[in-house]
Amino acid sequence: MTPEFTDVDAAAPRTDRRAVLIGSGAAALGLLGYPLLRSALADRAAVFIARRQRYDGPLEETIRAGLLASGIDPAGLRGRRVLIKPNLVEPSRLVAHMTTHPAMVLAAAEVFRRWGASVEVGEAPGHVRDSESALGESGLGEAIESAGLPFADLNYEEVAWVPNGGRASPLAGFYFPRQVVEADLIVSMPKLKTHHWVGLTAALKNMYGVIPGIKYGWPKNVLHHAGIPHTVFDINASLPKTIAIVDGILCMEGDGPIMGSPKPMGLVIVGANPTAVDATCARIIGLAPEQVSYLRLSEDRLGPLADRYITQRGERWQDVASPFSMLDRPHLRRLQANPAGPLISAVWPAGRASG
Amino acid sequence: MALAALALAGHQRHAAAERVARRLAALQAGDGSLGITASQRDPHWPTGLAVLAWSVADEPGARQPGGFWQANIDRAVAWILSTRGETLPKAPDLGHDPTLEGWSWVEGTHSWIEPTAINLLALKATGRTGHPRARQAALLLVDRMFASGGCNYGNTIVLGQRLLPHVEPSGLALLALAGERDERRRIAASLDYVEANLSAATTSMSLAHGLIGLAAHGRSMPRSSSWLEQAARKRRGPAAHQSALLVLAALGEDCPLVRLALTPGGPA
Repeated sequence: MTPEFTDVDAAAPRTDRRAVLIGSGAAALGLLGYPLLRSALADRAAVFIARRQRYDGPLEETIRAGLLASGIDPAGLRGRRVLIKPNLVEPSRLVAHMTTHPAMVLAAAEVFRRWGASVEVGEAPGHVRDSESALGESGLGEAIESAGLPFADLNYEEVAWVPNGGRASPLAGFYFPRQVVEADLIVSMPKLKTHHWVGLTAALKNMYGVIPGIKYGWPKNVLHHAGIPHTVFDINASLPKTIAIVDGILCMEGDGPIMGSPKPMGLVIVGANPTAVDATCARIIGLAPEQVSYLRLSEDRLGPLADRYITQRGERWQDVASPFSMLDRPHLRRLQANPAGPLISAVWPAGRASG
Repeated sequence: MALAALALAGHQRHAAAERVARRLAALQAGDGSLGITASQRDPHWPTGLAVLAWSVADEPGARQPGGFWQANIDRAVAWILSTRGETLPKAPDLGHDPTLEGWSWVEGTHSWIEPTAINLLALKATGRTGHPRARQAALLLVDRMFASGGCNYGNTIVLGQRLLPHVEPSGLALLALAGERDERRRIAASLDYVEANLSAATTSMSLAHGLIGLAAHGRSMPRSSSWLEQAARKRRGPAAHQSALLVLAALGEDCPLVRLALTPGGPA
């Protein structure tokens, strides 16, 4: 259904400790002092980009290098529970560029297993109740079975209530599946795609997929009614420690996240701060991160958006950027940076069967 | 749990079905609704499934025929009729008619295919096929089907783009639409869509819903038994839920869900 778009800046209370510090500091220093103080207090986050990546290439090495470059300490993962969350929102064999490629999931799992972690893959597909079909259509089912990786169908697991750590939406809290609450580390593994309502779907938006359908429905319409940007922010503000490994090898442009066209990019993007990773992804696909509503909400609460606060590892985003085409709609046009990608009308892609 | 009762009753395991029906009755809240589990009392979308289970437990041949569960059914149906999905003004960006009233997964949200189908079935099973809410629900289900057949969770076109159909919700919608007339021929197209998309590779939930949906319209697939066996062997997911669906689908036109969907009933 059509989501409501509201002024996200007006809707979000700034209640975190750093915001309080900034607020009192700004009062003390006066308006001229605020930008200086803000710079001093802002966190830096490392984001690693690898280019010329292939699904049949050495992804395990790439991901390991990316995690190390992002500041992940392998020793800290020994004996820990890692939950890998791919994006299987509505898999179809006809649209392979919609879902996280199984090779990415297996490679990441292998890195964490070699570091001594116990790894589980979990997903709550948002548009299909038949999660078994989602595993089959995406190819992930066979892959994780062959690798001996357990799968948690997050749509149907036991749930625990967690208070809303963001409070941008009116929701008091979230029901998260047990595996999510008990994880020591969640690894958001999205496919890099455009999104026809909010512009971009990557690490933060992917976490809609930890919300159980049995409590929120198919689609998770409770979240839509509470505001997509607000709930993206709130969910991420309420989760255990989450990092990001983005499948940017074969991406989706145009009418994402379901019906867009393939966009080969050959990228793997890794970071310990999903907000910084998403800001980098936005720049790569030709969007201004501060214009993406849920990123604007997340800025300085969950992580940095400004380029100067993000330490680039591996490739520079400027060297791999290639603007994605977007639907020609006013709410998407205003998200675009310069140079912008082409604006297109929604059309049924030639050669794609309806069934 | 409700599907288990239906599957057991369909295979003449009436004592076991009755035990499940009693368990469901114990979980029914004072307002007539049932939650998703014993510990999670909301949302209440399983209420319609419980009506179906109690309806079968009341049928001739059951251990407690003749209205033993009628009070539970009446309270549950009253709850169903007291709730509705949120409607929206028509919008050029949406392909479906959002003013039609069905049921939502969670109170306070829009109507979607599967809860609407479940509650339409519940109304039909209790002789309320002609109830205005049942008529509106049938209209909604047909409206959310693609002209080329099939449906998904309940969106057809968004921002000018036609979306993809899926077998599982298509089968459930077809089951609920058993006996309905459709001059737009979307039901016929959806039957063709489901037939064309069932195979040995179809997973258990989709296969079962697809076959039951076809059976509700007098259609069957010659290799369905073999596919059901394969699906049961390969099954990966909620075991009891999937097993109940496969067992129900194996009954073909004798599936209790099919019988309930075709229950005669005039205006309430």
